[in-house]
Amino acid sequence: MRLRRTDPHTLAGAYALDALGEPDRENFERHLLGCEACRAEAASLRDAAGWLAEPAAAAPPARLREQVLAEAARTRQQPPPVRVTERVRRSWRGIGWRAPRLAVAVAGVGMLLALALGTLLINTQHQLRVQESHGGEIAAIMNAPDADMMTVHARTHGSATVVMSHAARALVLTTARLPALPSTECYQVWLMGAHPIKSAGRLPPPKQGMTAPMVVAGLAAGDRMGVTVEPAAGAASPSSPPVLMLALPAG
Amino acid sequence: MTAELPGERPRAAGGGELAGLLAKVARGDEAAFAGVYDHFATVVYGLVRQVVRDPAQSEEVTQEVLLEVWRTASRFDPGAGSARSWLMTLAHRRAVDRVRSAQASAQREARAAVATTDYDVVVEEVETRLDAQRVRRCLESLTELQRESVTLAYYGGYTYREVAALLGVAVGTVKTRMRDGLIRLRDCLGTDS
Repeated sequence: MRLRRTDPHTLAGAYALDALGEPDRENFERHLLGCEACRAEAASLRDAAGWLAEPAAAAPPARLREQVLAEAARTRQQPPPVRVTERVRRSWRGIGWRAPRLAVAVAGVGMLLALALGTLLINTQHQLRVQESHGGEIAAIMNAPDADMMTVHARTHGSATVVMSHAARALVLTTARLPALPSTECYQVWLMGAHPIKSAGRLPPPKQGMTAPMVVAGLAAGDRMGVTVEPAAGAASPSSPPVLMLALPAG
Repeated sequence: MTAELPGERPRAAGGGELAGLLAKVARGDEAAFAGVYDHFATVVYGLVRQVVRDPAQSEEVTQEVLLEVWRTASRFDPGAGSARSWLMTLAHRRAVDRVRSAQASAQREARAAVATTDYDVVVEEVETRLDAQRVRRCLESLTELQRESVTLAYYGGYTYREVAALLGVAVGTVKTRMRDGLIRLRDCLGTDS
């Protein structure tokens, strides 16, 4: 199946209505990262969409109030996000070591990739679907003549495997055996470099301990990639030290 | 520990009012959380029920949404949008997640037939609400295809591809109608207030 390219701008309405299915939503959110005007438009359309709830208003059963308030009283709240404070920044630098780098010849990429991702890609239907929808993009990065492949171990346990193309300024990321998270949290990927820290999106939920390949685009020279634990909806900036960190090779 | 709750009958609070309550909720103020409940449980539950349909599941999802507000109030970022928009996004996403999960898929066909008609029924019930009237008036300013695309997605929880199939029009047409429809709705709500 060919990756279907659509003009992402026109998806702002469907996005604001939560009417994008999975590959579409992820692609659009990636587009939003690099387009400030689009973020502003999406926010204003979301705001408008939210008002549509008014005509649907209906009183819940009276018992719900006490139930919800009682449940809240025994539920711990999340701490506020730490806005890239010195503490977090230092800890990011602290792990800024270089991953063992493996330059691979064009012909070798497929083979290494099969080793790293092979089981992943054919394991479950879900992953096959993801692979199909991103197939074009993923293949382009993997088959780039300058593709680099790296594996980095997480601070806790598990690892991430990255295939990166400097020319495409993009990488393909998969992870294996990262600590499982409750449904209220997710792993979020960040790029850090000369620019302010930017989100590269959330890791897809793992299947059998592994996450489907995720494309991280828009890399800049000297970028580092980090992964942190964030609330399920994602965060605007990293709120905890990274569980894994990778200094991307300079090309 | 006491939040100053407005004396008037609970209705949708303005964004500023909710933002103030959220700031207190973030600090563990249970009375402020009760205030959020009193102002927004009706609109959250109504929306969730519209999308999810099953009353028991709708109650569950409403509780999840409000508890998420309690847990994550400290994560609300005023710079990224209004408090109202934040809350309604939480509610709509949760509702949509619920209907898109595998267990609910069996009921989807049954919902298709009633999605638009039920919307009208619900509107009748709450005609007295000022905001509802305003939104309804603005919805009427949309073209029929814009309105159908927007309401099937928002109240029906359908993806734009599903909406295209339901309406028997091209996927690209539905995409642009959704965007144009929301732009028109946004402009109408903005100038009308």
